[in-house]
Amino acid sequence: MDQFFGAFGVEWPLLIAQAVNFAIVLAALWYFLYKPVMAMLAARQEQVAKSVREAEQIEELFSRADAEAETRVRAADTEAEQIVASAREAAAAAQVQLVKDAEARAARIAKDAEARAAEELARARKESEREVARLAVLAAEKIMRSHAS
Amino acid sequence: MHEGIAVVLKAEQLGSVFGFPVTNSLVMGWILMAFLIGGAYLFGRSLKAVPGRLQAGVEWVFEGAIGYMADVLESETVARRFFPLVATMFIFIALINETEFFPGVGSIGLVRASGFLPLLRAPTTDLNFTLALAAIAFITIEVAGVTTLGFFKYAKKYVNLKSPTGFVVGIIELMSNLGRLISFSFRLFGNIFAGEVMILVVGFFIPYLLPAPLMIFEMFIGLVQALVFSMLTLFFIKLSIMEAHEEHEPRQAG
Repeated sequence: MDQFFGAFGVEWPLLIAQAVNFAIVLAALWYFLYKPVMAMLAARQEQVAKSVREAEQIEELFSRADAEAETRVRAADTEAEQIVASAREAAAAAQVQLVKDAEARAARIAKDAEARAAEELARARKESEREVARLAVLAAEKIMRSHAS
Repeated sequence: MHEGIAVVLKAEQLGSVFGFPVTNSLVMGWILMAFLIGGAYLFGRSLKAVPGRLQAGVEWVFEGAIGYMADVLESETVARRFFPLVATMFIFIALINETEFFPGVGSIGLVRASGFLPLLRAPTTDLNFTLALAAIAFITIEVAGVTTLGFFKYAKKYVNLKSPTGFVVGIIELMSNLGRLISFSFRLFGNIFAGEVMILVVGFFIPYLLPAPLMIFEMFIGLVQALVFSMLTLFFIKLSIMEAHEEHEPRQAG
């Protein structure tokens, strides 16, 4: 056996040296390569998981915001419709009132005018009666004067 | 002119430091370690949350490897526990095998009275390296079995006194476990070393022309061997953390 291994140059110190070499490489790669890369991979995985979670949250938020916006728009629509309807109603009411007012005013004006006309007529009649009386007096005077002469 | 083909089975000793022998495969191992650790340090420091192309590629490979290991081991946690070992085996062996034919490796050296002494030699062509790795894989596999199942449950796989057949099967299982030490180390050593020898021989007969395509082929083999070594480690870990099959226990298909 010794001869056999001797032919291949196997010696304890060399064997141990090579084993130590490998152990050093293993330790160094472990420390410098595997650990940081593994940590990086784990961190990346965590990041991806977090991103996915956040994306889901955002999506949910979006859908919720969408729904809310829709309800709000719908509410605003109905409100606007109500406002328009009430405005129309108010306008109609105002129109009726206006017409009524105008009619009343017209009636009043007409009545005023009638009254004034009647008054005018009465006055004219009175005046004309006075005139007629004066004329009658004048005519009588004239007649009497001509009779007298 | 060539003086013939010199095939050296063992890594040559360049000298010694504090009484410890230093071979050319050790030197090359240190150089590659320096590159690997430096590269890992620079890469690990430059990690960004938004990855560049290189980082994305590495992350993709990591995730794929862990996913595959989780499939094999049927547990994400266990896969993460053994990923560093399996990945390092693959990376280190692959790097060694791919740099095996770098200009200078095996060709730059010292000319001594005893002959040419290359300064660099791929560690995978040194049985010390492959045996050391095999031992690490072996120990990992056994420890994984014992820590996952508990000592007695794990031992029950190999010492079965319920039936003579069971006993023999257990002993065979035990032997095959020990045999892994040999198969692991010699598979890697044999493949890579044979590749080098083949290139050497071919270069002797048909120089310039044939070695280059064969080197490409050998680099592919080197990658495959790195994969085989790490995959087998993974599969044996899986086998060792599985509970022993009871004869009459209902087993799930597949």
